[in-house]
Amino acid sequence: MFDVIFIGLSLGSILLLVALGLAITYGAMGVINMAHGEMVMVGAYTTVMGGLWLHIGFLASLPLAFVITGLLGWAIERIVVRRLYGRLLDTLLATWGVAILLQQAVRLEFGLSFFGIHIRGLGPGLQNVKVPAWMTGVVSIGGDQVNIYRLFIILVTAALTFVTWLLMFRSDIGIQVRAITRNPRMAAACGIDVQRINALTFAYGSGLAGVAGVMMSGFKTVFPDMGSAMVVDGFMVVVVGGVGSLLGSVLSAGLLGQVNGGVAAVTNDILARAVVFGLVILIIIIKPTGLFSFKGR
Amino acid sequence: MTVALTIDGIGVSFAGVKAVDNVSMLVHEGELRVLLGANGAGKTTLMDLISGKTRSTDGRVFLFETEITNWSPNRIARAGIGRKFQIPSVFRDFSVRGNLNVASCTDPRIRSNLGIGIPRTRRQRIEEVLELTGLAEFAETPAANLSHGQTQWLELGMLIVQNPKLLLLDEPTAGMTQNETHKTAEIIKGLRGQHTILVVEHDMAFVREIAEQITVMHLGRVLAEGSMTAIERNEAVRHAYLGSYGISAEAV
Amino acid sequence: MITQRRLDRAAYILFIALILLAPLVLGDFWVNRIAKFLVFGIVAVAVSLCWGYGGILNLGQGLFFGAGAYMLAMSLKLASATSMQQGSDHPVPDFMLWNADPGAPTELCCINRGSFLWLPFQWQWFGVVMGILLPVLLAGGLGLVVFRKRIAGVFVSVITLALVLLVRLVVIDAQPLTNGFNGLTDLGTFHVAGFGFDPYARATYYLVAGFLILTLVGSRLLVETRAGLILQAIRDDQNRARYLGFDVPIYQLFFFTVSAAISGLAGMLYVIVAEFASPTFMDLSFSITMVVWAALGGRASLLGACIGAILINVIAASISETATFVEAWKAIIGVVFVLVVLYLPRGLAGFAQDFGERLERRFADSGKTTTPGVIPQAQVPRGQAP
Repeated sequence: MFDVIFIGLSLGSILLLVALGLAITYGAMGVINMAHGEMVMVGAYTTVMGGLWLHIGFLASLPLAFVITGLLGWAIERIVVRRLYGRLLDTLLATWGVAILLQQAVRLEFGLSFFGIHIRGLGPGLQNVKVPAWMTGVVSIGGDQVNIYRLFIILVTAALTFVTWLLMFRSDIGIQVRAITRNPRMAAACGIDVQRINALTFAYGSGLAGVAGVMMSGFKTVFPDMGSAMVVDGFMVVVVGGVGSLLGSVLSAGLLGQVNGGVAAVTNDILARAVVFGLVILIIIIKPTGLFSFKGR
Repeated sequence: MTVALTIDGIGVSFAGVKAVDNVSMLVHEGELRVLLGANGAGKTTLMDLISGKTRSTDGRVFLFETEITNWSPNRIARAGIGRKFQIPSVFRDFSVRGNLNVASCTDPRIRSNLGIGIPRTRRQRIEEVLELTGLAEFAETPAANLSHGQTQWLELGMLIVQNPKLLLLDEPTAGMTQNETHKTAEIIKGLRGQHTILVVEHDMAFVREIAEQITVMHLGRVLAEGSMTAIERNEAVRHAYLGSYGISAEAV
Repeated sequence: MITQRRLDRAAYILFIALILLAPLVLGDFWVNRIAKFLVFGIVAVAVSLCWGYGGILNLGQGLFFGAGAYMLAMSLKLASATSMQQGSDHPVPDFMLWNADPGAPTELCCINRGSFLWLPFQWQWFGVVMGILLPVLLAGGLGLVVFRKRIAGVFVSVITLALVLLVRLVVIDAQPLTNGFNGLTDLGTFHVAGFGFDPYARATYYLVAGFLILTLVGSRLLVETRAGLILQAIRDDQNRARYLGFDVPIYQLFFFTVSAAISGLAGMLYVIVAEFASPTFMDLSFSITMVVWAALGGRASLLGACIGAILINVIAASISETATFVEAWKAIIGVVFVLVVLYLPRGLAGFAQDFGERLERRFADSGKTTTPGVIPQAQVPRGQAP
C-alpha cells in the first residue's frame, strides 16, 4: 500500500514539476505556452550536453538548465508572446510553432547536420544521462524500500514549490505579478513596468521547466520530441487545479498522480493514463473553474 | 388598460445581502416607465431578474398573462422582452445591416433558419429601423467602426427589429454627448405607444425629456412611484436619494 | 461589395476546376498523393467551420477523423483477402489469430471477448454508416454536455484534447480488437455496386474530389444561411445572441456535430486512399496540425483553410525526396506558423481579401461616379475600434 502511494506521490511531483512553470505562465499571465514541454526537453539536453562537453555532474546541471531555459523563455516572451497578450488561443498556436522549431533545432543540430557537421549529444537519436551512483540506491523508510531518486524528485519539487510560493506571495515581484494578473492596465498605471515583469515571469516559468527537464533526464530517455506529451499533462494539472491557484496545482498534481499510480497498480500504464484523461474531462465539465479555485463572489 | 409587466414581490440576495427585496410593480401596455435610484439601489439587478440573467429567490414575474419567472434568458427574449445592456454589445464583425439581419431571425429554431437571405417583410422592417435609429447611411459599416453613440443606437435597433412586447433599456445614454443624448430621447419617444418600455437612467435632463411614470428604488426596495412632479415633491425621495438639493441639482 | 463577392465566387470556381483537371497532368503516384491531400482539405473545412465560424477550437478533430477511419477500415479489413484465408468460412482479421489464446475458436463471433463487435462490419455499408454515425454521436454527446454547461474557449479545447488522447490510449490498449499501435493495415478495396476503388485509380481521386467539392460548397452555403449568420453572431458575442432569444448551445452543438460528421467522412476517404487506419490519427500533433492548416489558409475562410491544407502538404511532399529536408520543412512550418499568427491572423485568405479590396478600391476610384457618401467609414470616428 505504502509503495503505491509513494509511487503516486513521485508521479504527482513530476507532474507538478512540469506544471509549476505552466501554472505561472498560464495562471498568472494568460499564456498557453505549448513550448513549455520543449523547455523541459532543453533542460534535459542541458544535462546531456553538460555531461559530455563540460564534464559537469547531474546536480550542477540544475542551475545551468534553469539559466539556459530561463534565457530562452525570456527570448520567446520578447519575440513572440509579447504581441499576443489577451489572445489566449493564439498564444497556444504561436507557441506550438515555437515548440516545433525547438524540436527541429535539436534534431537537426541547429541546422549544422545539413553541412555534415554533427554535435555529440544532439541529433534525432536517444540520449541517456548517468545519475550519480548514490542516487540509484534505495533507502529504507519505516521498513519500506524507497528509491532514492524518486525521493530526490519529491524533495526538489517541494523545494521549488516553496520558492515559487515565496516569490509569488512574499516578494515585491510577486505582488507586481499578481497585480498584472488582475488588471494589466491598472498595474501599468500604478507604475509597474509590465513588460519587464512579464518577461521575468515568463523566464522564471521556463526556468522551472528546465529544472524539471534535468530531473526528467535521470529516469527517462532524452529525445527531441520528449516534451510534447508533458505539456499536455502539465496543462491538465493546471486546469484541473484551477487557473491561477498555486495551491490548486499542487493538490491536483497530487490527485492525478495518485490516480495514475493507483490505477496503474491494478491495470497497466496505458489505461492509467486514459483514466486520468477521463477524470480531467469530468472535472472540467463539472467544475470548469477547477477543483481548488477559491474565487470570491 | 392592459398590464404588460407584472412584478410580484420579487427578491434576490447575494451572499446574504438583499440586492432586490420584495419589489412589486405594474407597467401598463404602451407605457414608458423610468427607474431611478442611486448606485446599488437594485435597478440593474431588477432588470437582470426580469430578463433571466439572475435567478430570483422569491416572487414572480408576468409578461401579460404568461408567468416567466426564472425562465432562461433566450426563452424570455423569445417571449417578447428585449434587453439593452449598460455596456453596449453588438456583433462587431458584422455590418450594421448584418446585425439587424441576425436580430430579425425571430424564429429561434435551426430548422427554420436553414434558408439563405432575409424574407422581404423583415427586410422592410429593417429599413424602417435603420431610418428610425438614423443609421441608414451607415448600413454597410462594420459595427466595430461605429462611434459609441451609434453602437448604442444599433443595439436599440436590434431590439426594435424583433418587435418586443417589452423593452428593458439599461442606461441608454451612458457615455453619450449632449447631442447624442437628445437624439436617443427622440428615438425612444418615437417608440412610445408602440412598445412598452422600462428605462434605467441617471441623466435627469434625459429623464425629464422622456418620462411619464417614474419608479424610485432605494436599497433594493421601491421607494416611490408617480409622475415627475410627484416624485420631485416626494419627501422620502428627497431625503434618500436627492439630498437637500432637490432633483434639479442632479442634472448638473 | 459586388466585386468582392465576384472575386470570391471566381476563386471557388477556379479551385474546383483546378482539382478536377489536376489528374490530367499528374502521374498515378501523384494522383494518389494529391487525393490524400484533398482529404486533408476536407478536414480543414471542418476545422474552419467549427473554429473560424463558430469560435470553437476543437483540438480533438482527430478523434472524429479517427472514428470515421476505423469504422470503414474495420469493414475493409474483413473484406481483404487475408481475412478470408484464416481457415474459417467467415472472414477473421489476421491479427486476431496471432493474438488468440491457444485453443480459442477461430470464428469472428468468439475468437476473443470483444470480437463479436466486428460481426456487422462484414457489410461494408454498415462500416460506412458507422463512419458518419459514430463521430456524430460522439460530438453530439460531448457537445450536449459541454455547450449546455456553457463551457467555452480554451476549456473546450482542453476537453476535446483530453478526449482524443483518451480514446487513442483505449484503442492502443484494446490490442486484440484493434491491433493496438499497429492499426489496421492490409485492407480490402472499397466497392460500390461491384466497382472497386483502387487507391491509385483516377476514379478514387474523383471520389475524393467529388466529396471535397460537396463539402466545400455545402459548408459555404450552410454558413450563408440565417443559421450560419447566427452561429457567427454567437462567436462574436454569445451573450448578445442569447438575449436576442437564440438558444446558443443548440447552434453550437449543430455546427460542432456537422464539423464532426465532415471529419468522419474525411477519415473514411483517407482509409480508401491510404489503405490503413492507425492510432496516429488520434495523436495530439495530428489534431494540432489540422488547426495549423486552417490557420495558415485562413481560419474564417472555408476555401482558404482548404487550400492551406492542400498547399502545405503539396510543398511538403515535393521536398520530401531527401529525408533531412523533411525535418527542415517542419522547422520552416514552425517559423511560418509563428509569423502567420503574429502578422497574418486571417491567414492567406485574409491576405487575398485585402488584395481584393485594394483592387476594388482602384476600380471605384477610376470610375468617376463616386459620391461622397460611398465610403461611410470615413465619417465614423474610429476611436471605438480596438
